[in-house]
Amino acid sequence: MPFFALQMNKTHFLLGILLSGINIFLILTIAPQNQLQADFGNIFYIHVPVAWTAFIGYLFVMIFSILFLWKKEQIWDHYALASAEAGTLFMFLVLLTGPIWAKPAWGHFWVWEPRLTTSLILFLIFLGYFMLREFGGNPEQVSRYAAVLGIIAFIDVPIIFLSVKLWLPELQSHPQVGQYFKNAGIMPTLMINYSLLSLLVIISFMIRFRVHILKRLEERNII
Amino acid sequence: MGNLIWKELINEWRSREIVTSMFIFGLTVTLIFALAFNVSPIMFRQFAPGLLWVVILFTSVLGLNRLFSYEREMDAHWSWISAPIDRGYVFISKVLVGFIFLSIAELFFIFPFFLFLNIDLSFSFLLLFITMILGNSAILSIGCLISGLALRADLREVLIPVLLFPIASPVIIAATKSTVFIFQDKPFGEWSIWILILLTFSLISVLLGYLLYDQIVED
Repeated sequence: MPFFALQMNKTHFLLGILLSGINIFLILTIAPQNQLQADFGNIFYIHVPVAWTAFIGYLFVMIFSILFLWKKEQIWDHYALASAEAGTLFMFLVLLTGPIWAKPAWGHFWVWEPRLTTSLILFLIFLGYFMLREFGGNPEQVSRYAAVLGIIAFIDVPIIFLSVKLWLPELQSHPQVGQYFKNAGIMPTLMINYSLLSLLVIISFMIRFRVHILKRLEERNII
Repeated sequence: MGNLIWKELINEWRSREIVTSMFIFGLTVTLIFALAFNVSPIMFRQFAPGLLWVVILFTSVLGLNRLFSYEREMDAHWSWISAPIDRGYVFISKVLVGFIFLSIAELFFIFPFFLFLNIDLSFSFLLLFITMILGNSAILSIGCLISGLALRADLREVLIPVLLFPIASPVIIAATKSTVFIFQDKPFGEWSIWILILLTFSLISVLLGYLLYDQIVED
């Protein structure tokens, strides 16, 4: 069945495009600029909410994985996989927008900043998660393995963050990060962007979830 | 659990394949590092802690691949997990055996490592020993859990390092940092946080493995 043949997919796809458009419009027009960071600083309106939604996506991978291992119902595995995909897409955007901001702000595309480093490590763990799903063996066993990995990955986050934070203490005091949040005027746009991007991650999740369900039905020759 | 550990040790005593291959691999990687980083002894002292833990991590991956090979061949996995004990203990027995093998291999390649890289030996061996014990247990506990996940995978040899390296990154950071401070003879109080991170990581991994191993090996 073609993806857009399903009305729900079409609606969610168009809604996603509309929300992204509103988001970019707000950032380019009404969002206040940081005086010290000029134009490039406004990428924070995307970077921070995207990072937030990516982590929420991964949190849900852990929650759905626990529910899958507990209840043994396949639906939770589809939820977990869809969350992992949506989370990884947004984590990729974090890794893309972070360096774009870092170059003019810090002079380098990559700085071993704890949040960015933790995001990179988590992104790599989830690339491994998809490899395990693809090459792990029998699909039913792979669902269980992936659930275990989804739990380990999220529990690992605080330890990764702490060790990277202590690893190079001189990198912790980048004033440019905190500087942006001192301006109270940014909050309305930032909050709207948080909401829009959270909606976008939910839409990505729902689209991927439906794709997995359709694949499953196709495998069983139901459609 | 004692019987499971004993069985593994007897198997290894007969074949000597895991420890020998880990030792020779560790030695070879050390030699390659010594040749590749052909710099002054002072520079080596700066690089050595990181290199040491890279060698240990690579050697562990080799050991982890072999550690589960008997269970993989001829599907002997099922007789192994049918041991009449909690499957969490089956996991712990594997971690302990892997720990013993890695520690023995390290005992053999650590001195050539110091020798080839011209490391000044005026540091506390006891603290290095404690760090290595904790580092080994942290790597092996998460490594055995990942090996269990990849047991039936087609790309097993690739999956283990792909999953292990990012998950074990806090271990490598903490172990390397501890070794840097040990080589610099800094007071323990200054860097005890790294030992605490290694200990926490090991405990969490063993606990997760104990709780989740049943889910991994379930038919």
